[in-house]
Amino acid sequence: MRSPTRQTLATTCKDNVMAQGDPIIQAKDIIIKFSLRGRTLTAIRGASLELYEGETLAIVGESGSGKSVLTKSFIGMLDQNGWIDSGTVSFEGRDLARLRSERDWLAIRGKKISMVFQDPMTALNPLKTIGSQIREVFELHHGMSGKTADHAVIEMLERVGIDNPHERHRQYPHEFSGGMRQRVVIAIAVACKPRVLICDEPTTALDVTIQAQILALIKALQRDLGFTTVYITHDLGVVANVADRVAVMYAGQIVETGTAEEVFYDSRHPYTWALLSSLPQQGIKGQLLYSISGTPPNLFNTITGDAFAPRNPKALRIDFVRQPPMFEISPTHRAATWLLDSRAPAIDPPPAILGMRAKLGGAKLGGGVL
Amino acid sequence: MLLYTLKRLAQSIVTLFIVVTAVFMLMRLLPIEGYFGDGYDKLSASQREAVLHKMGMLDPWYVQMGRFYGGLLHGDLGVSSIYRKDVPVLEVIGPRVPYSMRFGIAATALALVAGLGMGVSMAKHKGGILDKVWTGYVVLVNAVPLAVYLLFIQLYGTSFFKLPLLFDKYRPESWILPAVSMSLGGIAGYAMWMRRYMVDELNKDYIKLARAKGLSQSAIMVRHVMRNAYVPMAQYLPASILMTISGSIYIESLYSIPGMGGLLVDVIQRQDNPMVQALVLIFSSVGIIGLFLGDLLMALFDPRIKLSKSEASR
Amino acid sequence: MMRDRLLAGAMSPDAIRCAVDSGSGAEDELSLFEPAEFDPNAGERGGYSNYSYWRSTFRVFLKNRVAFGFLVLLVALLAFTFIQPMLPGQRNPTKIHIDPATGMQFRNVPPGKEFWFGTNTIGQDLWSRIWSGTRTSLEIGLLVGIAEMLIGISFGAMWGYVRRLDAVVTEIYNVINNIPTTIILMLLAYIMRPSFKTMVIAMCATGWLGLARFVRNQIVIIRDREYNLASRCLGTPTRRIIMKNLLPYLVSVIMLQTALSIPGTIGWEVFLTYIGLGLPVSIPSLGNLVNEGRQIMMSPELRYQLVFPTIVLSLITISFYVLGNAFSDASDPRNHV
Repeated sequence: MRSPTRQTLATTCKDNVMAQGDPIIQAKDIIIKFSLRGRTLTAIRGASLELYEGETLAIVGESGSGKSVLTKSFIGMLDQNGWIDSGTVSFEGRDLARLRSERDWLAIRGKKISMVFQDPMTALNPLKTIGSQIREVFELHHGMSGKTADHAVIEMLERVGIDNPHERHRQYPHEFSGGMRQRVVIAIAVACKPRVLICDEPTTALDVTIQAQILALIKALQRDLGFTTVYITHDLGVVANVADRVAVMYAGQIVETGTAEEVFYDSRHPYTWALLSSLPQQGIKGQLLYSISGTPPNLFNTITGDAFAPRNPKALRIDFVRQPPMFEISPTHRAATWLLDSRAPAIDPPPAILGMRAKLGGAKLGGGVL
Repeated sequence: MLLYTLKRLAQSIVTLFIVVTAVFMLMRLLPIEGYFGDGYDKLSASQREAVLHKMGMLDPWYVQMGRFYGGLLHGDLGVSSIYRKDVPVLEVIGPRVPYSMRFGIAATALALVAGLGMGVSMAKHKGGILDKVWTGYVVLVNAVPLAVYLLFIQLYGTSFFKLPLLFDKYRPESWILPAVSMSLGGIAGYAMWMRRYMVDELNKDYIKLARAKGLSQSAIMVRHVMRNAYVPMAQYLPASILMTISGSIYIESLYSIPGMGGLLVDVIQRQDNPMVQALVLIFSSVGIIGLFLGDLLMALFDPRIKLSKSEASR
Repeated sequence: MMRDRLLAGAMSPDAIRCAVDSGSGAEDELSLFEPAEFDPNAGERGGYSNYSYWRSTFRVFLKNRVAFGFLVLLVALLAFTFIQPMLPGQRNPTKIHIDPATGMQFRNVPPGKEFWFGTNTIGQDLWSRIWSGTRTSLEIGLLVGIAEMLIGISFGAMWGYVRRLDAVVTEIYNVINNIPTTIILMLLAYIMRPSFKTMVIAMCATGWLGLARFVRNQIVIIRDREYNLASRCLGTPTRRIIMKNLLPYLVSVIMLQTALSIPGTIGWEVFLTYIGLGLPVSIPSLGNLVNEGRQIMMSPELRYQLVFPTIVLSLITISFYVLGNAFSDASDPRNHV
C-alpha cells in the first residue's frame, strides 16, 4: 500500500500560523563549518528555516544537532573558528550571512535580535550591579542616561517580576537566586524591544517550578511587547507548553517543521518518531523504556544519504544512497524523509506514535487520508 | 568587613612575629668577624670573648631574643659596627629611605601605566603583530637576567642619550635611567598579567551576554573586563608600593643611588652584622604589611569577599 | 542479475551505492525503496574519539615556528658547549697567553684570527673562557633545576595530597615567602662563603619552594575535581588516578617550571657575582665573565669583552624561556583546537 504524498490537513493549522505574510527571518540552505584540530567539521549541513512575525518557534534536537550554532549565526556570535560557508539569512532586507563587520552586527544585536542564554549563574557580570547591567542596554541603543534610564530600568525590573525594584536594582548578581537572575537576563534581552528573542535552553539550568514561571514570563512579555520568540530546547515538555511551530533538527539539518500539533500528533520523520517515542510518558509499565540506539554521526565526515539512516530500523535502502529532499505534507508541515516519496512503501510509525495520532482523533486529520 | 579586617590583621601580626624571629635566628649564623670590624685580628681570643660578652652575644638565646624584642619595641635596632661605627642603625638607614621610595614609586607608576596599557594592547590584538612585538619585549626582559640587560641600558643610555652615568641629586636627568630600568620588569609583569587576565575573562559567559547586548568589543574591554581587573590587581598594588622601600638592590648599586638597597650591598660586603640584621628585618616586614593592605583593598572592591572566607594562601 | 540481488536483500548499503552510481536504471531505482537491513552496530560508529593528548601537544608545539627555531638553536648551542673542548686547537681557559716575541701578556686583544673572541685584561683567551663559563653555569643550572624538581615535586605532592599537612605547611610557606629571595641568597652565600657548592646549595634552598607550591596547588585543584571524584566513586585505585589523571598534566607544567628555572639560576649567579658572593675568579662562569666585562664596558674598543658573554648567555636564557612557554601553551588542552 503506498502512502499518499500530498496529504492535506486543511483544518489542523492554527489561525495565526495560517495568517502569515512573509517570514521575518528566512534562512535558506545554510552550511556552517568549523575548523577544529586541523580538520573541518560541518556543523550545519544545509538547513532552511522561516520565522514568522509574532509566533513562537521551537527548535528541537539532541546535543550536537546544531541548534545553538544555527541561531548563533543569526546574531553573528559563531565561535572564532567557525564560518558560514554558504546560504542566506534574510532579515529586514539584508542577508545576515554576509555581514562581516562588527559595526553591522552592533546594530542588530540586542536591538533587533536578542538572545537569552542557558546558565543564569554565569551570565551576569559579578562585579556590577544588575541595575547597571540593564541600564547599559538602554544607554547603548536608546541613548538614555540619568534619571530616564533609571526609570526605564526599574520599570523593566517590575515587568519581569522582580519585587522591590527600587532597592534591588542596586544589588549584585550573587544576591539573586538562579530564577531571579534569569529574569534579569530576560529583562536585559527585551529591554530595547527587539523583533526577535532567541532563548537558548533558558530553563535547562533551573528547577522545574521556576521553569514554568520563566516560560510564563516570556509568554507574557511576548504578548505585551510584541516580539517573536525562538526557543532552542531538547525538552519536549517545554515545546508542548509554548510553541506554535516546531522545527526538528538532526545532524545539522532541519528534518521536520510544522505546527506543534502537526509535529506532535502527526509526525512523519522517523527521527521525530524516535524522539517522541523516547518520552518517558510513552513508557508502558512493565516494559523497557524506548531509547534510540547508536549515536549521532561524526560531522567531520561527509555523510551520504539520510543522516539518521544508520540508527533507523525502518530505513529504506535509498536512505543510504541519496539525501531525502523536503516533502510538503501541508502548507505548514514539511519533512525530509524518503518515506513521503510516492514510490516508498507504507511504513507504520511505532506504536507510540500511532497512539498519539489516535488521541488527536481522526476528525482533526481532515480529509484525503487514504 | 570589620571582622575580616581584624582577622587579617591578626594573621599578619602573627606572620610578622614569626618572620622576625626567623630572621633573628638566621642572624645568629652570621660570621662573628662582622661584629669587630678592623679590630678582629688585633684582639686576642679572650679579648674577643669579652667584647662579645659585652654586646650580649654570649647570653642564652632566649635572653638575647628578649633583649632584641625589647629593643625593637623601643625603636632600637642596634648600632652599626663597621659601616658607621657606633651610630644607631636607624640613623644610618633613615636618610636613605626617601631615595628608595621616590625611585620606587616613580618606577611603579611607570610600570603600571605602561604595563597595563601593553597588556590591553596585547589582548586586543591577540595573535597579531602588536601582540608579538610586546611578547618579544616581555621575553627579553624575563629571559635575559636583570643584571645583564641593565648593564646595556646603562651603557647605551649614557652613550646615546648622553644621560649621566651615576645618580646625582642635583641633576634631574640622572633620575631617568634608574627609574626606567626599575620599571622594565614591572612593565613586563603587569603586561603579561593583564593579558592573561583579559584573555581569561573574555572567554567567560557574561562577556557573551555583553556581546549579545550589542556592545562593541572595545566597550566590552573597557567597561567590563578592565573594570573587573582592578579587583585582583588591588591585591598586589600596596605590596608593590611598599616594597619599593627596599629599593632595587642592584640598580641602586649600579647607579650609586644612596638608597636602602645599595646600603644592603655595602653592609654585606663590609660584614656589618647589626646593619645586615636590621635591613633584612625591614625588607621582610614591608612585604607582610603590603600584603595585608592589599587584602583589605581587594575586600573593599570585590563585593563577594566580605561574605566568604578568603583562601588560605596566595 | 543486479536487480535480483537487490531484491534478494543481499547487498550492503555501500554496494547499493555503487550500483546506483553506475546507473542501473529506473527499475532498479524502484527497488531502492525497499526496506534495508538494519545493522545496530552501524549506529554506534559515530564518535570523535581520535584525540590523543600528547599527539595534539606536539602538533601544536611543532606548528610554532619560533619555538621550533629556538629548539634547534638551543640543541646546537648545548651540543657545541660540551663538544668544544674536544675540538682541535682549543685553548685552556685559565691560561694566560704570553707573546713569545715580547714576553708580554696578550692583554685586551680584539677578536681576530688568533683569538676568535679576543682576550681579556690579563691575557686569557675569551673564546675558551666563554664556553668553559657556559659549561659551568649550565652545570649549576641543571643541578639546581634537577634538585629543585626532585625535592619540589615530592614535597609538593605530599603537601597537596595529605590534607592534614596542608594547613600547617601553608602557614610555614607564607612566612618563608615573605622574606625576599635576594636576601636569603645573599645571606646564605655570605654565611657559607662563596664557592661552587655554596651556589648550588643556596639556589636549591630558595628555588624548590616555588615548585613545591606550584605542584601542591595543582594537586589540590585537581584532587577535588569532579572527574576525580567520579573516578574514586567508580572504585579506581588511587595509584591509577594519580598516573592517568594527575600526572600527565603535572608533567608538562613541571617541565615548564624547570625550563624556566635555568635562566633564573643563571640570572642569580650573575647577580651574586656582582655583589661579590659569586664564584671565585679562578672558575670561569658566565657571571664572572659578565662582571669582568662590566668593569671595562665604558671603553668602546674593549666592549667586546662584555658583548660576547652576554650574547651567549642571552641566547641560552631566551631559548629556555621561549621553549618553556611554548611547551606549556601547547600542553594546555584549550589550545588543541
